[in-house]
Amino acid sequence: MKLRYSPTSPYVRKVAVAALETGLDGRIERIETDVWNPETDIAEDNPLGKVPALVTDEGMVLCDSPTICDYLDSLHDGPRLVPAEGPGRWQVLNLHALANGIMDAAVARVVEVRARPEDKRFDGWLQRQTLKIGRALDALESRAAAGGLDGPVTLGTITLGCALGYLDLRFSEDAWRDGRPALAAWYEAFSQRPSMQATVPPG
Amino acid sequence: MKLRFSTTSPYVRKVSVTAIELGLDGRIERVATNTMDPKSDHGADNPLGKVPALITDDGERLYDSPVICEYLDSLAEGPKLFPPAGAERWRALRRQALADGILDAAILRMLETRRRPEALRWDGWVRLQSGKIAKALDQLEREADGLDGPLTIGEIAVGCALGYLDFRFAEDGWRATRPQLAAWYDGFAKRPSMQQTVPREPA
Repeated sequence: MKLRYSPTSPYVRKVAVAALETGLDGRIERIETDVWNPETDIAEDNPLGKVPALVTDEGMVLCDSPTICDYLDSLHDGPRLVPAEGPGRWQVLNLHALANGIMDAAVARVVEVRARPEDKRFDGWLQRQTLKIGRALDALESRAAAGGLDGPVTLGTITLGCALGYLDLRFSEDAWRDGRPALAAWYEAFSQRPSMQATVPPG
Repeated sequence: MKLRFSTTSPYVRKVSVTAIELGLDGRIERVATNTMDPKSDHGADNPLGKVPALITDDGERLYDSPVICEYLDSLAEGPKLFPPAGAERWRALRRQALADGILDAAILRMLETRRRPEALRWDGWVRLQSGKIAKALDQLEREADGLDGPLTIGEIAVGCALGYLDFRFAEDGWRATRPQLAAWYDGFAKRPSMQQTVPREPA
């Protein structure tokens, strides 16, 4: 398999952590890709111009992180990152959606500042994204305090770990841990996992 | 079940088409939700402030359209819109991701040209999103003969994406260079599930 990646994308990190947790890391060849470079050839593999994109051994291109993780989960015999059925499946996918939504809002904030001319930035947009992140973190704090993040590693907790890591990378000034002690304690432990340690984004 | 919806969201349309195709439409109570209204009570059901959001009979809240559609699929008897395993599954999920990527770009373009204060709009952003949409449509044109197999979430997502382009960006004329995709959509759009869910501006 071939993985198009960038070193800072939280969606790529999710895939990388999932590959490590499922023992598939050694089967993945990595191709660093800068989607913001005007000369990029990413569209040859992913017309949407995004990383991660996984080219399978059969030549199929999977171009979003949930599908890539679902695919990786089908290739190993260990405990599933997403339970195949039952209430557990929806709980995991729901946590994934919430954490992925934090990534989406955080990336939207980064893009607003990095990709646009300075005089075209819109504070209202930044505030809207920041509000979403704050509300999602509050919901996760309640869940963490109730023990809802404990248990075996899943695609949900992996995505949450990568989302919080991305907030530390890009928005450490937001101080997301303030007022969210249970979530902070959960992340403190989760980020010690070898899969998380091996994928810390370059600062 | 309770579905938070808006009449223009293409992601909501995916859920509605899925529900109708599965014969589950009658089990879903609809709650109109304006996500742009600061006074909306929607944050209680979805901290990310997005529609669709589904509240299941068990009280579980599901937030994004792929998860909601797969959940509905798990409730229905008969042929699966999400094939359980193998090449068919990846084909369907890959196609859904491509179509959802078109929608993501189309929504960003719509927000830029309709919701952002006029002085802060930036052509570069519109061009970037339009380029992604065009390349993804070209990819779908190349694989258009594969769209005629058994119905999956992939074709539903493609149908809703094309319908949204007609709704918001008819002036693009996406059919002009994509005759096979246009011919497929012409047939697909006649399905009762598509006819009953044509997007419209709220009254």
